[in-house]
Amino acid sequence: MSINYSEKIPNNVDLANDRKLQRALEHWQPRFLTWWQEQGPRDSSSDDVYLRTAVGVDAQGWASYGYVKMPDYRWGIFLADPIADRKIGFGDHYGEPAWQQVPGELRSQFRRIIVTQGDTEPASVEQQHLLGLTCPSLYDLRNLFQVNVEEGRHLWAMVYLLHGYFGRDGREEAEQLLARHSGDRDNPRILGTFNEPISDWLSFFMFTYFTDRDGKFQLKSLAESGFDPLARTCRFMLTEEAHHMFVGETGVGRVVRRTLEVMKELGTDDPAAIRAHGAVDLATIQRYLNFWFTSSLDLFGSEVSSNAASSFASGIKGRPDEDRYEDHVCADATLELETPDGTESVSLRNAMNEVMRDAYIKDCEIGLKRWNMQIKRAGYDIVLRLPSKHFCRSIGAWAGVPVDPEGKLLDQQDYDQRLADWLPSESDRAFVHSLMQRVVEPGKMAGWTAPPDRGINKHPVDYEYVRLH
Amino acid sequence: MARELDDAILLLRTNEPEIGIWVLKTRGDLNAVLKTDAILMRRRSHWLVKETIGMLRRTLARLDVSSRSMFALIEPGSCFGGTLLELVFAADRSYMLATPEDESTAPVSTGPVIATSMINFGAFPMVNHLTRLQTRFCGDGSPIEKVFNQTGEPFRADEAARLGLVTFTPDELDWDDEVRIAIEERASLSPDALTGMEANLRFAGNETMETRIFGRLSAWQNWIFNRPNAVGEQGALKVFGSGSKPNFSWERI
Repeated sequence: MSINYSEKIPNNVDLANDRKLQRALEHWQPRFLTWWQEQGPRDSSSDDVYLRTAVGVDAQGWASYGYVKMPDYRWGIFLADPIADRKIGFGDHYGEPAWQQVPGELRSQFRRIIVTQGDTEPASVEQQHLLGLTCPSLYDLRNLFQVNVEEGRHLWAMVYLLHGYFGRDGREEAEQLLARHSGDRDNPRILGTFNEPISDWLSFFMFTYFTDRDGKFQLKSLAESGFDPLARTCRFMLTEEAHHMFVGETGVGRVVRRTLEVMKELGTDDPAAIRAHGAVDLATIQRYLNFWFTSSLDLFGSEVSSNAASSFASGIKGRPDEDRYEDHVCADATLELETPDGTESVSLRNAMNEVMRDAYIKDCEIGLKRWNMQIKRAGYDIVLRLPSKHFCRSIGAWAGVPVDPEGKLLDQQDYDQRLADWLPSESDRAFVHSLMQRVVEPGKMAGWTAPPDRGINKHPVDYEYVRLH
Repeated sequence: MARELDDAILLLRTNEPEIGIWVLKTRGDLNAVLKTDAILMRRRSHWLVKETIGMLRRTLARLDVSSRSMFALIEPGSCFGGTLLELVFAADRSYMLATPEDESTAPVSTGPVIATSMINFGAFPMVNHLTRLQTRFCGDGSPIEKVFNQTGEPFRADEAARLGLVTFTPDELDWDDEVRIAIEERASLSPDALTGMEANLRFAGNETMETRIFGRLSAWQNWIFNRPNAVGEQGALKVFGSGSKPNFSWERI
């Protein structure tokens, strides 16, 4: 099959003249489409969806809107514009020119990091493949599909790097990215969180708010990489990732707003009454938040990590916004780290995961402030809170340590008894599931969520964002 | 030729200890090599031929016990046949350029080919008394038989790979990157660890007194773990987990 490259695959990597890349994509592209049909959004391939497509990296190019059938979406390959004479901004190679090719000695480490990042993109599409069937509105359905096609494009971005810079093993790894499947018992996705299905929209909003934000921080740290093509790829991906977090922040915000409306209408904050009225009580929202926040914290890895140290030292992965820091080498710096056994002083390079995690937590606070503002304005003194970063962890020094959401150490029995107050129980999940009914009339919203403040690309909220067929 | 190669090996070993990778290439007429081999084999009872084969055997064996990484590059215009094919077998890795089969016009493609001669099946035993083919296949007779049955036939990259005679067969598009990255990657690893690993892998199978000296994992381990590259101030074991890179002395011993 021959592909008209510049037509079908928008790109700024001179695909039309790159035989190596063409050949690799000729094999991979049909497989990607098969994968999309099998594992992508269920029963949606004939719908016309009002989507944003990137056709260039400048202000006009990266967001061109129009109706598209998703299998015909033009997944493109884009790198942010190069920075002339870019230098490596951290680690042992600080100040040296950035690499335009993968240095042989770092090849396997780079490959692993790109594969791990790449694996999460199709994984999240797989996790969400049934959500479209229970969408709360056409507006939300369109946003879900937008997130899905962009995760697909992010997979393309990582596959481009594998194809372009990693030769034969790169091509094999690219095939594997389509062969592993979320939740597959024999061939699962690499990271645990990405093997759990996302079957309700509250989880989807939490996922896009918390887990995609982890993605944002990973991308930000890779955008600092000494390997320039990786840095440029990630810089461009970040422009798209922002939309995913927008979906999460407004998504949770709208659920909260609807709950407040119901509370006002009923004049009570009794969860049972709110639930009976078809909205999600704030305590349940808090439990969902606890769950997704803590599982996203685990994605940053152990507090003390020799992998993190060597990634930083060798120029593979920096800190998000590296230029905000003064010391870019961190050879002798240390960090005071809280562990269950007291405060420990560790080499800063080994503690890079923790540095990232703290920056992430700060970023998470922003949305909570907005949600809490709504609650306060509605006249309630309930506050949604991020739990302590030591609560309910499965990775690192705090894994399995019985700590409550305030960060207080409890005895195990006490902890086990109260866990149901802090994390979504089976009945919580069953209740949230029971709310998931499909609403596809333009402008109409499911009863558990409020309409968004505005539509997409200046269209009204009741615009027909998806034409179902 | 044996003398020149021997000279080159000794020169590099003595004077260039920091050059840790040798790249083996040949250039010339493959058929001429095979014909020479045929003459050597036919006249092998002649004293001069005996001496010549002996000299070649010793020179090739010297490669086996040289503490350097060796990569053979099989490119168009090369003549890795018979005696010279032993260089490919002696190397730690071999890269052979794969060219697409051109069905339309020329029956003979321009891609490189390799071929065995009778000389590969016993004339040049390694110090473990096995041929390099026997060592390569860990003494398994059936792949050797397959190769033997096609003695003298030219193998293209895909066939050579199928028979297990070469390690990697990148095509034209991948060649430069694959070779560059392989060499850069190898050059960044601990020279001591590589010496130990290579010595072990070169003498798989039957043991003799020589392989006990040159190819025993336990002996190498004790040596590697005591070297400054491992336990010195900036050695690999000392800085492990700190994120700092070990500071190796690049000299091979």
